[in-house]
Amino acid sequence: MLLNLTIFLCLVFLGYVFGRHAEKKHFESILERENQYKALLAFSARFPPADMAISESKLVGGTVVISIDYFKRLAAGLRNIFGGPVTSYESLIERARREAILRMKEEAIAMGAEMIINVKLETSSITKGAGDQVGAVEVYAYGTALKH
Amino acid sequence: MRYENRQIPEGINVSTEHPLKEFSALLLSLVVLVGAVVVGLSVLAAYAAPLVPFHVEQKIVEQTGSDWLQADPLSVEQQAVKQYLKTLGSALEANMELPEAMTLTVHYSDSELVNAFATLGGHIVIHRGLLREMPHENALAMVMAHEIAHIKYRHPIVASGRGLTVGLALAAVGGFTDSSATGLLINILGSGSMSSFSRGQESEADAEALKALLAHYGHVNGAADLFKALHDRTEPSKLLEFFGTHPADRKRIAAIEQFSLNISQGSTQPFPESVLKAVH
Repeated sequence: MLLNLTIFLCLVFLGYVFGRHAEKKHFESILERENQYKALLAFSARFPPADMAISESKLVGGTVVISIDYFKRLAAGLRNIFGGPVTSYESLIERARREAILRMKEEAIAMGAEMIINVKLETSSITKGAGDQVGAVEVYAYGTALKH
Repeated sequence: MRYENRQIPEGINVSTEHPLKEFSALLLSLVVLVGAVVVGLSVLAAYAAPLVPFHVEQKIVEQTGSDWLQADPLSVEQQAVKQYLKTLGSALEANMELPEAMTLTVHYSDSELVNAFATLGGHIVIHRGLLREMPHENALAMVMAHEIAHIKYRHPIVASGRGLTVGLALAAVGGFTDSSATGLLINILGSGSMSSFSRGQESEADAEALKALLAHYGHVNGAADLFKALHDRTEPSKLLEFFGTHPADRKRIAAIEQFSLNISQGSTQPFPESVLKAVH
């Protein structure tokens, strides 16, 4: 029992320290790159602007998989009992979404595009149904990159 | 038409609250919830389980196959030890005012385990390993009277009833969450608080045993000697104490010493030669 408790506390502590550090660094990096790529516009509109002369259009996409840490998992598990917003997962999904869009933008920038239209996001759980595993989420962002 | 991507302000999708704040609030709620479940059901079990008639309890034990109680046939030497244990048990029992319907069965197990226990149906098992640690008869009498007290107070059936109901309830609480981490946490909290009830039973049995020893020998000298011997070998940490099913040895020794103040003193009884030979 004592051994179980020790392992458990270590996992929670490690999860908290490393998870929080990783999240902080990731958000910093996301903000920096979002600023860097802001000239490239991205929309969910299905059609290009009517006055835009398009020389090239191409499907671009970016995907990312982010794993939760033991602390987040425990916090979410506690939330399962009492109900309410699962804040520990909210930041996880937010990071994944923004990172996927950034990776999609990187591909569009590489081809010299000015705009991405019809942007869509897909989310899926990698470890769905496997109760004993630490969960991971995959977000895929894709759209049509347009070049003048 | 002008197209632009506006900067979305931070903190809309992600809570800015410190994660530990939410976590500690949830953890505290869980501790309260598990505590309420354990305490509520334990009190209920302590009230309801003794209502089961003793003969029904004995029947349950018979039906669920008590093969382990019918240990290997004992040798002539071991039979003598068993007989000695039985005689000592009866002598102590006579001073303990057991309900009429209650019958005790003393078993002697030829194993190295340093242990003795009382279980459902009035069965008391003493292992050879424990007998070997005994410095004299009075220390053994303390343990036997302690186990008889468990039976007298129906502790085995209370503990079984409590274990079953609390176990079920905690499994149900754990079932709300699909995370094994939370399940583990619930288990740790549950077994910790269950152990405190078990320690309460042990202290109760110790107190009753001391009274029986006083009635049988006229003093309680030597009652703490086994605990002292075991205590010198291992000293559990404070944390282990929380999970321990028995009170720490030093607490038991202190309680015995407290009891022996202001009562007459006497000398301890040695074991008969035949018993010493069979045990060592």
